Order: sequence, then C-alpha cells, then structure tokens
Amino acid sequence: MTWQTFVFLPIALGAFGYSFYRFQLLFQMMKAHRGNSNRLDNIPARIMTTIVNVLGQRAVLENKGPGIMHTAIFWGFIIITTGTLEQFVSTIYQGATFEFMGQSLYSGWLFLQDLATLAVLLGVFYASYRRYVVRPVALGKSKDANIVLLFTGSLMVAIFLMNSFHIAGTHPWYANSLFVSQWLATRLGGLASEPTNAALGTFFKWVHMLIVLGFAVYIPRSKHLHLVAAGPNTFLKTLPREKGMTPINFEDESVQQYGAAKVTDLSWKDALDYYSCTECGRCQDLCPAFNTQKPLTPKMLITDLKHNLYANKDKILAGKLDEVSHIIDQNVNEDVIWACTSCRACEIACPVFIEHTDKIYDIRRNLVMMESRFPPEVQPVFKNMETNGSPWAFSSADRAKWAEGLSVKTMAEDSNVEVLLWVGCAGSYDERNKKVLRAFASILKKAEVKFSILGSEEQCTGDPARRIGNEYLFQTLAKANIETMNRYSVKRVVTACPHCYNTIKNEYKNFGGNYEVYHHSEFMAKLIAEGKLKPTKSLDATITFHDSCYLGRWNNIYADPRKVITSIPSARLVEMTQHHDQSLCCGAGGGRMWMEEKIGKRINVARTEQALETNAEIVASSCPFCITMMTDGITTKEMKDKVKVMDIAELLDQTTT
Amino acid sequence: MAKIFIVAEHRDGRLKKATFELLGASAAAGNETHALILGEGIAELAKELAHYGANKIHVVENSALKNYSAEAYSKAVAQVLKAASPDIVLASHTPTGRDFLPRVAAKLGVGLASDCTQLSFDGSKIKVRRPIYAGKVLVDVEFLGSGPVMATVRPNALGVPKPDTSKTAELIQETVELGALKTKVLEIVKGSSARPDVTEAPVVISGGRSLKSAENFKILEDLADVLGAAVGASRAAVDAGFRPHRDQVGQTGKVVSPTLYIACGISGAIQHLAGMRSSKVIVAINTDPECPIFQAADYGIVGDLFAVVPLLTQEFKKIKEH
Repeated sequence: MTWQTFVFLPIALGAFGYSFYRFQLLFQMMKAHRGNSNRLDNIPARIMTTIVNVLGQRAVLENKGPGIMHTAIFWGFIIITTGTLEQFVSTIYQGATFEFMGQSLYSGWLFLQDLATLAVLLGVFYASYRRYVVRPVALGKSKDANIVLLFTGSLMVAIFLMNSFHIAGTHPWYANSLFVSQWLATRLGGLASEPTNAALGTFFKWVHMLIVLGFAVYIPRSKHLHLVAAGPNTFLKTLPREKGMTPINFEDESVQQYGAAKVTDLSWKDALDYYSCTECGRCQDLCPAFNTQKPLTPKMLITDLKHNLYANKDKILAGKLDEVSHIIDQNVNEDVIWACTSCRACEIACPVFIEHTDKIYDIRRNLVMMESRFPPEVQPVFKNMETNGSPWAFSSADRAKWAEGLSVKTMAEDSNVEVLLWVGCAGSYDERNKKVLRAFASILKKAEVKFSILGSEEQCTGDPARRIGNEYLFQTLAKANIETMNRYSVKRVVTACPHCYNTIKNEYKNFGGNYEVYHHSEFMAKLIAEGKLKPTKSLDATITFHDSCYLGRWNNIYADPRKVITSIPSARLVEMTQHHDQSLCCGAGGGRMWMEEKIGKRINVARTEQALETNAEIVASSCPFCITMMTDGITTKEMKDKVKVMDIAELLDQTTT
Repeated sequence: MAKIFIVAEHRDGRLKKATFELLGASAAAGNETHALILGEGIAELAKELAHYGANKIHVVENSALKNYSAEAYSKAVAQVLKAASPDIVLASHTPTGRDFLPRVAAKLGVGLASDCTQLSFDGSKIKVRRPIYAGKVLVDVEFLGSGPVMATVRPNALGVPKPDTSKTAELIQETVELGALKTKVLEIVKGSSARPDVTEAPVVISGGRSLKSAENFKILEDLADVLGAAVGASRAAVDAGFRPHRDQVGQTGKVVSPTLYIACGISGAIQHLAGMRSSKVIVAINTDPECPIFQAADYGIVGDLFAVVPLLTQEFKKIKEH
C-alpha cells in the first residue's frame, strides 16, 4: 500500500457510492409507477434477444455508419473496462497486475487494450464528425453528448499517453503488444528522463481513473444512463412483433381513473424506456408526424416524459403521487398526443426497443375517458359507433348492400363455411371500397372457397375507438362481435382491412375471441401458392406497392401482397424510397382517418409524392384507409388521369378467370 | 270541421312561406281557418294571409311585439287563444315557432307535438305524423284530453298553396296586456353571410376540388342565389383553400340534410357521403361516370360542371321568372 491507495480508495468509494445512490433513486422512481407491466414470460427468448441485440448490436447496426461506430465503442469499452479494473487493482494494491495470466496471454490482452482504445477513439472521431459537421436533424443539440464525447475522447487519449510513458519508462517490453502506444512512445520517449516518464505514466493513469470515476457520477443523471438501462430494456421488450393494446378491466370497481394523467400512472417499464433513450433520433427520422411539421417527435416525447418524471422526483420519492404534475404540459401538449398515426415506425426504428405508442394511447385514454378532451370531429365518430356500429353514419341494415347480386350468403343463412369474410365498415359503406370487396368475393368464388359474411350482424371492430382512447366503446363493440362470431362457431376469418385484421387477430383474444385470422393478401398469396388461383391475363403496368402500417409494421406482412402483384404476368413491381418496415404511413392510422389534419404538410401528400417519383401507373395497396388517403393525395397532385390507386384484390380479380 | 288558429311568422315586412303552407293545409281541409299575426305596423301584411286561405285574421298591434321575443310572443298568443278557444293551434317548426309555442302550451297546460311532417284533420280533431330517432321511425300522434291541441310543422313539409289575391278576410284587432316584460330586444344584428348556413338551407350546392380555384366557386354561388341555396364544399376543396372550413360538408365538417343537394365535381369519398347522404334528393355532376357519388345520387349528370352549372342557373332563372 502506498499513498496512492489512501488517496484512491476514498475517491473511488465516494464516486461509486454516490453513483449507487443516484441509481437507487432512479429505481425507486421506477417502482413508484402505478401501471402494471408483466414482462417475464419466455425467458429463453429474452436471453436470446439480449445476446443478439446487446452483445451482437443487431438493432443498432440497422443504421450502418453510426451502428459500426457504436459497436466499436461498445465492445471497445467492454475490453477497456478490464484494463480500468487492472488500474484500480494496481492502484489499491501496489504492483498487482493481470500478468498472472501468463506472459503470452497478457501480451494478447495488452494488444486488445490498445486495439480497443484505438477503436473507441476512432468511434469518437466519427461521432464528433457526425454531430458537429454532418449535423443530422435526428441528433439535434445536446449538452450531454458534448460532455460524453469530451470525456470519452479524453479517456482514450489518457490511456494512450499512460501506455506510451509506461513503455518509455518502466515497461519497455509492452511495446511488443501496444502497437499504437509504441508508435506514440517513439515520438514522446525522448521528451524526458526515465523516472519522469514513469511519473508521467502514473499521472495519466490517474487522469484516466478520475475520468472513469467522474463518469460513474455523471451517468445516472445523463442520457448516458442507457449504458445501464438499455440492456435490461432489451431483455424486457415486448417479444412478438404483433402486439395488442392492454385492456382496461372495467369490472374492477376499485379503479378510480382510466389512462395516464401523470407520468406515474404509466408503468415502470415506461420509466425504463426513458432511462434507455440515448436521443439518437432514429424514431424521429421515420415519424410521419415529425416529417410533416407536426409538433410530435417521438424522441422529444420520451425526453419530455423523462424530464416530467425528474421534475416530480421529490414528490414521487416522498410518496405524494397525488401532487405529481399533469402529463399534459407545454411540451407534451394535446397536439402532440393527437398527431400520432400509430404507424409504429418509431418503435421499429428504436435500437433499444422503446415503446412510444403505448404511452401515447394511455394518455389519450385519460383525455377521452376522464376529461372528454378530444378533437371535436371525433364526437360524431363515437356517436356513430355507438348507435350504428360504424364510424360513419350509415345504417347497419345496409351492411350487406355491397354484395347485392353476388349471391353471397350470410352466416345466418349458412354458417357451415370454410371461412368468415369480415367485410369491415369501409367495405360495407365506402363506395370505393365496396368494389374491392366485390373483387375479393369474386376471387374467393373463383378459388371455390366457401365463405359467408355476417351482414347486418357485423359491427365495427372498435379499432378507431381504441386508438382514439375510448376503450369502453371498443370493448362494447369487441364483446358484441365476439359473441356473434362465437355463436356461429367461427374458426377462420379473412378480411381485406388491416385494421380489422390486427384487432381481431391480436386484440380479440383478450376478450374470448380466438380465431385463425388472415388478411386478404395472405389469403390470396396462399391460394396462388396452392395453385388454386393463377393469374393468366397479363397486366402491362408498373406498379408500386404502398405498405399498410397495420399489415407491415404491426404484423410483419410484407411479402404476401408483393407476391400477389408479381404473380401477375407482365406486372412490374417497383419500390418507393421508403418501403417495408421503413415505409411512410398514409396518415390515416390511430384514428387520424376521422380527424382533420390542420398542422403542417398532409402526410398522404408526402407519401403520394414518393409514389409518383417511381413513375408507376398503379399505386397498389391492401388497406381501405390507405386507398382513400392515396387517392386523395393523387387528386391533390392532379395526377388522377395518369395514376390509379388499386387494391391488390382488384388487380388479381382482373387478371384471373 | 275544426276551428284552427295559425300563428303567422314574418320578418322584414314579409310573411314566411312556412305560414302559407299551414294556411293552405288548413283551408284545403275545409277548416275554419284563423290567422294570428303579431307585431307593429302589420296591417297591410295581415291582409295577405287571406290570399292563402285565412277566413279570419287576428291582428295584435303592439310596440313591444315589434321585434320577436319569446316572452312577449308567448304571453300575447296565450291571451288571444284563451279568449278564442280554438280546437287546434299550429305554428311552423322554425327557430321562432319552436321557441314560443311550447311556452304557450305550457301556459295553457295543453299538449304539443313538434316537428310534424304530415297533418290529417278529422272533425275537430287532428292526427299528426312526426319522425323520431333521427328519422329512422315515423310516429302518428293523436291528442288526448280537452283544450286546444298544438303542433309545430316542419317547413317545406306541406307545400305552398297557390295564392288567390281576390280573397279577403275579416280583420279582427286584438288587444293584449303584456305587463312588465323581463326582456326587451334592442337590436337585431345580422350574420355577415347573406347566404344561409349549409346546415339550415333547404338547398345546398357543394363543390369539390375540380372547381380548381376559389374564384370558380362563383358559378356555384350564382346558382345558389337563384335557388336560395347555401354553398358547401368537399374536404379537398377546403384543404385546397377554395372555401373556409365552416362550409365543409362531410364526416369531419358539417352534416347536412337539405331537401336538395347538388354535388358539383365531388367524387363522393365516404368522408363526404357521410355528411350529406340523408339529403332528400341528391344530384351529382361529375365528368367521371365511375365515381362513387353517382351511387348515392338520385339524379346524375355526367358532364363538365363548368358547362352544366351555368345552364342550370339559366334554366332555373327562367322558371322563377314565369
């Protein structure tokens, strides 16, 4: 033991102690959240996803440049931390190094240290170049980032200087392993005498160690909290891509409030989400609202919620949850909350698996069910769903009118069928979409699939109500529909609407509705693959396919609709700049179909511009809302005479006999 | 034959058409038809009521009745009715009619059926038909008990009779004691738009994006002026800035149900149809015969609205002039 031991130990214990105290506060705040979230199912899959995404950095590498940079820094730091550990040990107990592992192994380890330091330093250079020269919108300005880059860069420089002076001083044999430090040592070695070099080596070791300790103190209060939080957040992520919204139990009379009015009404996992956010802005890059000048950016939503949580720290820790301030403030205002189209691009883009949409929908639930605050144009939507079972004011008696003359039977007439065709409100009432349903019914007949519809017994699935935040109305409709389907012992359902598809497939199971659900694109691709349907007439046209969010990002179906298009002779499929899981929403999801879009550029116009860039003659889609929005977009761009918007069922019906 | 009192409505020195409808229906059924008119300086106006079937005209001249007020009107009408004791009292289901007649009914403690669309007279009794549940069901209403029975009748439901200017009727001056009134109408400030609101107008003419500019809405306005119609717009036209949002007809705008709806250059997206499909008669003008609006329309004109609309304006003008 030397003076170094006595200086280092108190500083180290102080720094780590304080750091632990801060982490403990963060943990207490997380635990104080009222919402529930059970995430310990399927542990093997969770371990697997953690290995792949944390150690393997797969999600981070989705964005190549920054991904490689991050991987270099991530792995670099893991290696360097073992070096830091050696420095701590050797400072506490003079002379104790890791050399006990044997000369050759130790040389290799030293080589790795040098390599890792170089990798991190290069990473820091790239990050600084990107942040200060390229300046992508996603990053914005961040004091935290400046500090972290300065810290990290200094750390690496300190390591190199330390090692160089060690080589020049007491440990010349290190030169064989430390190739970068050796190169530096040859330039610095002559600067001083051997003892001075040794002293300088020790000095830079201290510089390095103190920066590390500083980091330990700094991390819990900075965006670099992700170092600690992102791993657990990955382990605890929602595993399957298809996820339904969490139901509210209206039978539970002890529940005093629905949805989230305060940050603490959300769940502990939401807090872990904020802790995990590094503000990389990938969510924002893909957000249709942000890209059309709406006030919503998923990145700022997360940081604003985090700041709200921190601002209420004392009240939360004192257990005074009633005094916590409202979630809606000047940052997270109602325009932010209503701008979301629930396209889920943010969640798909997030490298640490933050779930933005759940928070927005929990806040909407509170606004709608507790405070009756929502865009005025939504009022008739709720009313129509209550009285007519459809967001549009049409009579349920007219539901089956689209099928007039097609000899389509209702379940009441014949329930001994292979599959129930779920028509949906758009298919029932929208003149444009009625044609899609007629085409799909014709396809089913050609493929000799025996099907029936529910006719006037069908009601809206409740999707719009649920996304807008009226969970009660959703559950009323869902339960009624499930009762109807179960009465007919429905096993299989096919629908041309991705919103109906998602709701029946992923959300009805919480209410006793378990069915084998197909979207019509899956069903048609299957019929083609099985040889039951073969397009024989050619369609000499360039077609671009617009992905529906509820088919793609919510249910991972990208290939099937494209297979339908490419099965058509002479049809040429071209992709827009944004497609598959990077696709841009049409603007109608999340209940936005029934709201006015008053702020910024219209999302459907932005998407239409991408479609027009491809010079395709047909914009194909497989969602009634997308078709409406894209048709409107093309009318706005005055391209109605040149470009047609069609459902893939219409394309297939035209080309089959 | 019943003794019927019809409360006349007038504004700016003109009687309302809805009053003529009531007079016509009552007279056609051979009833003893009394008209009751209230106001100041209305002697000349009162005479016109005879042309539409009034046998006797009760005139209440009173400076407190110069401008309509619910309080003064209901007091005055109640007093006249008490003295005259008719079998049936009718008024139009207009903002005015539905404002004062229920008050009168309450004062006299008698029954009232509102928003009636059909009347059938039987001796001294009346049976009325009225829609309920937003028009999904029609009910026939008969009245029980004694005392005058009352009904407000939806305008445009009965049809305006041809006036016979040779007819005259006995004018009876009535005096009423209004006492101290709690309210007084000082001034009537008119809305800025001369044209009626889309939700109230019996005829609505709407334009879509195909009008291409705000200026081109002039051709719809010309037609609207001839028909006394309101001018509406589709969401696309409002988004393009051709019309203000208050004119937007559709799911996210106003929901209208006029007697006649003329859709010009509107394709008929469900968002629009949801706002106007309950209109009694829908006429669509569009160049594309495939567009969905024709599915909802009673009459369709496949053609360029810039050619068709001015022709319509011209023809309606001719009809009006004759």
